[in-house]
Amino acid sequence: MSEIFVDKDGLKKSIERLMEHCRVVGPVFRGQYHEFAQLKEVGELDLTYRNTRLSPKDLFHPHSDRMFTYTLAKDDPEAGILKEAPQDYSPRVVLGIRPCDARAFQLDDTNFVTEEFKDPWWVKRRESTTLVGLACNEPCGTCFCTTVGTGPFDEAGLDVLLVDVGDGYMARPVTEKGHRLLAEAGLTSPAPAEVKKKAEDLQKSAEQGMGKLFSVDAIAGQNSLELFNASFWDEVQFACINCGTCTFLCPTCWCFDIQDEVCGDKGDRLRLWDSCMFPLFTHHGSGHNPRSQKLQRVRQRFMHKLKYYQDKYHQGVACVGCGRCVQHCPVNIDIRQVAQLMSASCIC
Amino acid sequence: MADWEPRIVAFLCNWCSYGGADLAGVSRLQYPANIRIIRVPCSGRINPKFILAALRHGVDGVWVSGCHPGDCHYIEGNYYARRKFGLLKGLLEHMGIEPGRIQFSWISSAEATKFAETARTVVDRVKAIGPARHFIKRQAEVA
Amino acid sequence: MHAYTDKIREIARRLLSENRVDVVIGYRRGTVPFMNEPYLAKTPEQADRLHWDGFCGVNLANYLPRRTDRVGIVAKGCDSRNMVVQILENQIPRDHLYIIGAPCKGMLDRKKIAAELQGKEALTAEENDGKIQIQGKGFQVDLDRQAFLQENCAICIHRNPVIYDELAGDLVTEQMDVDRYADVRQVEAMTSEERWNHFDQLIHPCIRCYACRNACPQCYCPTCFVDESTPQWVGKTVDPTDTRTFHFLRAYHLAGRCTDCGACERACPVGIKVRQFTKKLEKDVLDLFGYEVGLSLEDRPPLDTFKPEDPESFIM
Repeated sequence: MSEIFVDKDGLKKSIERLMEHCRVVGPVFRGQYHEFAQLKEVGELDLTYRNTRLSPKDLFHPHSDRMFTYTLAKDDPEAGILKEAPQDYSPRVVLGIRPCDARAFQLDDTNFVTEEFKDPWWVKRRESTTLVGLACNEPCGTCFCTTVGTGPFDEAGLDVLLVDVGDGYMARPVTEKGHRLLAEAGLTSPAPAEVKKKAEDLQKSAEQGMGKLFSVDAIAGQNSLELFNASFWDEVQFACINCGTCTFLCPTCWCFDIQDEVCGDKGDRLRLWDSCMFPLFTHHGSGHNPRSQKLQRVRQRFMHKLKYYQDKYHQGVACVGCGRCVQHCPVNIDIRQVAQLMSASCIC
Repeated sequence: MADWEPRIVAFLCNWCSYGGADLAGVSRLQYPANIRIIRVPCSGRINPKFILAALRHGVDGVWVSGCHPGDCHYIEGNYYARRKFGLLKGLLEHMGIEPGRIQFSWISSAEATKFAETARTVVDRVKAIGPARHFIKRQAEVA
Repeated sequence: MHAYTDKIREIARRLLSENRVDVVIGYRRGTVPFMNEPYLAKTPEQADRLHWDGFCGVNLANYLPRRTDRVGIVAKGCDSRNMVVQILENQIPRDHLYIIGAPCKGMLDRKKIAAELQGKEALTAEENDGKIQIQGKGFQVDLDRQAFLQENCAICIHRNPVIYDELAGDLVTEQMDVDRYADVRQVEAMTSEERWNHFDQLIHPCIRCYACRNACPQCYCPTCFVDESTPQWVGKTVDPTDTRTFHFLRAYHLAGRCTDCGACERACPVGIKVRQFTKKLEKDVLDLFGYEVGLSLEDRPPLDTFKPEDPESFIM
């Protein structure tokens, strides 16, 4: 694990070289906020950003994805055959992703890559992507990554970690893929000792400011049924308007719907984001809906993220503390508050 | 594009406008074949979703016709329809649908000639605008 | 406006302890700057958590439809007009409501403030004497309240509640000579093609989260048209035609019912100015039928009634 150093201009040049033979995606400011987009030219890249409005999960799990397609057009030799829709799995580098979002992809992997089923779209996108993370020198007031098992300088899920040390970046390769990428990009100058020290100091100051907001282990230790029947859910759920904002912005929410659309003599099978906040989410074909009430759906979301996921996978909570839901919930429902209620030693 | 013939969906109320269309046919009056008629019990039954669905299907024009105000078979259906249509046309055109694609008329069951004339006018107006360009739902434009 | 906090708490405490209502719906202080959370107080003790400031933009009328208990509720001008519509539409009986009127000088737009701060993060925000005092890591700034009003508040002509049982503050003077439709006229001056592109760009970031719909007090259909599947009127992906259909039809369903409270724009996580659809309808309803939404419990909503002499210049 030998760290290298590159100054800001040097990084730009390396990116330009990379762009010649593979897709490079990074944070770009568009309209009112940053989003991850394929760079058309390196000047678009903004590594001074805080985080993107929407999580980068759409890099692997797009909002609307064409899975299969068919045509019945008489003159088409492939008429009547359901084909996999063509996708772009060419090599791709995602630059500047935050450690929380990279950790989130690992959590998403538990859903998309299991012993029995490996989602081919997810797997192929993951395999063709190299993740270059950017450490958070100044975590936001709404971030709580350290509370949930990751951190502003965490390497989990990343291939390379960049640290902005002022006049340039220290880059630490984390995986084989990361090593290869740095070599390909011609980034080989070893980082001098003072750069490594600067990075260490930045990490200390970033982590120190964050504190621990609640105990993930305390939630794991609660009795599921008691937690389920706790009286605080009534207060928590009141303000919720059951939109999809939290689920769509969240990097660890993976639920999807499959829609078949027919248009004349063509048809598609599409996968799109769904939300457990929508009443239709658990609507059975029989007409029965086990989560027809708002309280049930709100409770489900927090129990799933903070309790059930722990019980099932023993990997911590399905939340990486990115803070997007806290910032953008239209009615200020705060997962940090709910988690504190859930971890309280006395469930009243 | 010279042989493009517009496709126009016509929502006609059963009692007046559809009767008028029928009388036009029986009287062998000539009117353009571009009109595809959908019969509804009353112009008041027409939901904006129908007009949107027609546009999404790619029709070049939508024509809605009902009984004259005061003559509605259900007494007041067309009065409500009149309010709805005014607002709907306003919002559709505000959003960028070309004026002239959506038309409304009052035609009674005796007005066969008016039906044929209105049909001709509607087709001419839509021909002048050109084929539908917007609001057509094709295969989903997704990533 | 801070004096309201004490008055609202006092009224709520009284209503709850005298058993005049079962619950009081108001706001409690948010956990992040520029936000407050809608809160349901059930006891006089809980009433002390109620709070009021310029970040109370959420429309509390959203929580009323189909409630069966007796509700005390804090209402700004726009919120009270939505309650009028809900009463007219039989979503909540008038005698179940005890409306605590809050004459409003306009709510603040956190998106505008965020743009002004240009990426700097606000950690605390307080309102004082017409100024918004913001503090963050290593910076402090005072902003002039008037410059950061929500867009709908800047052009509001019904700041006082139109129905109420008790007031939490003195009535404010209504704004006069306000041009409510400058943005509508701007679009009306465009060609069809320009208009189409204008709205295309407007809704381009839409992620179909339905925050706009769910924040709206008038969107309470048991099954929204989006969820109808036989037939399916609109697809659920982010296909531009489907997204356009959703916004168009939702706006149309609000014709003669929307009070321009701005809850939709405020809720949108990607900052779409969805009011551009409903403002046109509001203007048309006023021009065609002379009707302003939610001002009278006596007048039926405009699409629920008619006049034999209604305008029909658009009829061939």
